[in-house]
Amino acid sequence: MVNPDPIGAAGAAGAPAEESERRLLQRRFTARLLPQLRLLVEECAAREGLHEPRRGEFVLAVDEIAGNAVEHAGGSGRLVLRRVGDELECRISDAGPGFSEAVIPELLPGLDGATKGRGLWLARLVADRFAVAAGPGAVGAAGSGTEGAAGTAGAPAAPGTVVTVAVRLR
Amino acid sequence: MSTPASDTSGDHLIPVQHLRPGDHAFVSYGDDEVRWEVVTAFVRLGLARGEKVLVLPCPGVPGEEVLARIDFPSHSTALARERGQLVLSSMREVIAPDAEFTAARQMARLRAETERATAEGYTGLRAFIDMGWVAALGADVGTMAHRETHADALFAGRPYTEICAYDRRRFDRETVAAMERAHPRALLERLGSLRAVRDAEDALRFIGEADAANRAAFTRSLEIALARTAPSRRLTVDLTRLHFLSVGCATALLAGVSGAVGHELVEVRCDRGQARMLRRLGAGAVPRLAATEVVRPW
Repeated sequence: MVNPDPIGAAGAAGAPAEESERRLLQRRFTARLLPQLRLLVEECAAREGLHEPRRGEFVLAVDEIAGNAVEHAGGSGRLVLRRVGDELECRISDAGPGFSEAVIPELLPGLDGATKGRGLWLARLVADRFAVAAGPGAVGAAGSGTEGAAGTAGAPAAPGTVVTVAVRLR
Repeated sequence: MSTPASDTSGDHLIPVQHLRPGDHAFVSYGDDEVRWEVVTAFVRLGLARGEKVLVLPCPGVPGEEVLARIDFPSHSTALARERGQLVLSSMREVIAPDAEFTAARQMARLRAETERATAEGYTGLRAFIDMGWVAALGADVGTMAHRETHADALFAGRPYTEICAYDRRRFDRETVAAMERAHPRALLERLGSLRAVRDAEDALRFIGEADAANRAAFTRSLEIALARTAPSRRLTVDLTRLHFLSVGCATALLAGVSGAVGHELVEVRCDRGQARMLRRLGAGAVPRLAATEVVRPW
């Protein structure tokens, strides 16, 4: 859902920190909805003044992270897109087995071996800010956080992951 | 270095996201769910780019349904309606007070609306016209065909973009095919779709969105093209009509070319963003691959 008004405008008018944040889009997604999700993110990014080629790179990063959630975290996820100051910030959360940023290769993986990890590698490369954090389900979940992007099937609890990617608008 | 892209009259298919001011495009649909995908993208991206948007839906489809479809799943179009940036109308209203359709009347009104939009501060006007009005106003197909092929003055050098949408259940196959040929541009019917075509220069051209769901089809088309061009040992792959290129498909391209040891050269035509992405993914280390940055002619 899009909220065109600043978050907290009704309940906390005059708070500078809250006035600098606006929620632009909130959406659950599955693989089938990824084309629509890209359109909505592109629309919001264009409206906020993010120009090409950075807009395309931001949409690419969002798609790679969302696609990773679909493929490795149970087939679905949740996206929240916000304007935070001079940044466009997207948080993608899932309820999968969880992974840490350590699983993203430092260097570009070669073409001759497994090509896994390239999507998140490029997403981090094009971002001005990028972070991977444990999801809310991580509290009390044993063994979370280091299972890799592919995760571990059949884990007793699903800690989930929140990936944040942000780009500067100016 | 940039070189002009070639474009043949017989291959005018593009994704809806690539429409630019001055474009006159055809699309057809045959499904009451799919029909909303192109119009939703067209409206939303137009509003985001600061254009005024005019929607002329199929007569008989309630306005409430049109607005609900365009608004879903986020209500970003509601404010646009309130401030007059998004207008729902009909061909009957466009040609009023005339009751009978004439191309001259319709184009004069659309031209005036374009000027009005820019005077109001918008960057231009875009119109989505469902051709269901033809039967509703008793117009004949010949009149419509003449309009579609004689509308250059509405578009050339002007900030006006138009999609004409044809329901394949309402028009016969020959008419739909003729109307597609009559338009300078044709659109992919669905978001998230990918087409691979062999263009007039024998290049493999991808059109649409090369996302994760289309990776297998992308890879297969590339493999077939490499096999087809094995005797000549040269292949051109054109990515410029892709609106989206995923890391997976880009990697499949690099891996495919890397493995094509029998080829002397694989030229990849791409836009600036795609070229940068391919470089980042290691295109410079792939033998025989030459990425050529192309400026799109539209």
